Amino acid sequence: MISRHQRILFWCLILCVVGMGLVLFLERKHARDRVIALGDATPIDAPYTDTQSITLDLANDADGTITAATRPIALPDEVTARARALLEHLLAEYAMPGSTHPLQSGAAVDDVFLLPLPVVGHTIDTTAHTNASGGSSTIPVAADPSSPQPQSPGGELAVINLRSSFVNAHPSGVEVESLTLLSIIGTLHANIPQIEQVRFLVDGQPRETLAGHADLLRTYPSRDTTVQAALPDVTP
Amino acid sequence: MDSGSHISDAILEKDVTLTLAFKLRSLLTARGLSVVMTRDSDAATAPNSPNALTLDDRAGIANHAHPVACLLLHATAAGNGVHLYSSELDPTTGEPLANPWLTAQAPWVTQSQRLQKQLALALTRANVPLVLSRASVRPVDSLTCPALVVELAPEGTDLSSLTDADYQQRVAEAIATALIFWKNQAQPPDRLAATPAATSSTPAVQP
Repeated sequence: MISRHQRILFWCLILCVVGMGLVLFLERKHARDRVIALGDATPIDAPYTDTQSITLDLANDADGTITAATRPIALPDEVTARARALLEHLLAEYAMPGSTHPLQSGAAVDDVFLLPLPVVGHTIDTTAHTNASGGSSTIPVAADPSSPQPQSPGGELAVINLRSSFVNAHPSGVEVESLTLLSIIGTLHANIPQIEQVRFLVDGQPRETLAGHADLLRTYPSRDTTVQAALPDVTP
Repeated sequence: MDSGSHISDAILEKDVTLTLAFKLRSLLTARGLSVVMTRDSDAATAPNSPNALTLDDRAGIANHAHPVACLLLHATAAGNGVHLYSSELDPTTGEPLANPWLTAQAPWVTQSQRLQKQLALALTRANVPLVLSRASVRPVDSLTCPALVVELAPEGTDLSSLTDADYQQRVAEAIATALIFWKNQAQPPDRLAATPAATSSTPAVQP
């Protein structure tokens, strides 16, 4: 005859066994999820290269010049992400205390788009049959001869979409606005040589000026702006 | 309303440039030149229209006058003295470039740079600190005349000098002297040299 105490002990042991089994089952499931997560190769951040020496064309309000300076920066491999990161680093320099060209801190560049030159538009192909989903196909339109042309094969137009918060807070003045644009153009020229021309948008829309002076409607040639900033001599 | 920028809490760019433009107009008119201004009051509107003039409208007014010189007046708190900017376009003597309106200044760039040197000399003689450079400032690239952006900065570090009547008068007299001298030198670019009415003795001022 089994005593009452032994029966209670037996059922307690059974409960412990079942409980330990449950814990083991859940831990095994968690461990398997962790291993699967480690093996997932889907990128979460843009792939970055190792830190490298990058040339930034930095503006100086005191003497109205642009000077090339090198900084160790890790940039993405993909070229449009690289251009955007480059400009964010450049404009972040101007937001630091003691900047020679002080600008407001915060995100300045919304996007950078690179378009192969000459820019080719698309139109609806009226000769094609409407596809099953009701959509219509498009065909490229011949490039407008007056549109920007490449200087060399593979030349690209960079369209820089600035944030209105950055533009609206930009200091006003011919020199200070021109220096910002020249600094951006010179930095892109120094690091992404396939960019031949640069255009600016603000929140996706064309805007006449940066802060009342510097022209944002024209297409700027990408060039070494450190040379351009040198002032001509005046002999009285 | 042409508000321009806020140079300080008490100083607006539009007020500084309009005052300087009036001084310049008086000096030039007294010396026999006629002056076309794209605004002479707070609001810049087209005739018989409540709509504000766009920058392109202003360039059109200047171009129709066939002036010997076009000055775009600006004011800033940055730097000191007077900043003179000519167009960033490369000078051309041939046919108009791909986008004629946005590159109309190209044949005149050489003349604009000569005018820049004339004004620089006059301002240097008047002991006004000077910055010379090139910049793309709307609508200078659309002007068909020798064109400069004239940006007035404080005389020293004191922002209130921008509204100082003596300082403004000294700058205006130097510019007027240079323009009188320039009137007899202005030549149309080669492409337009055959046009008899390519220039007239009318400076256009855009405050």
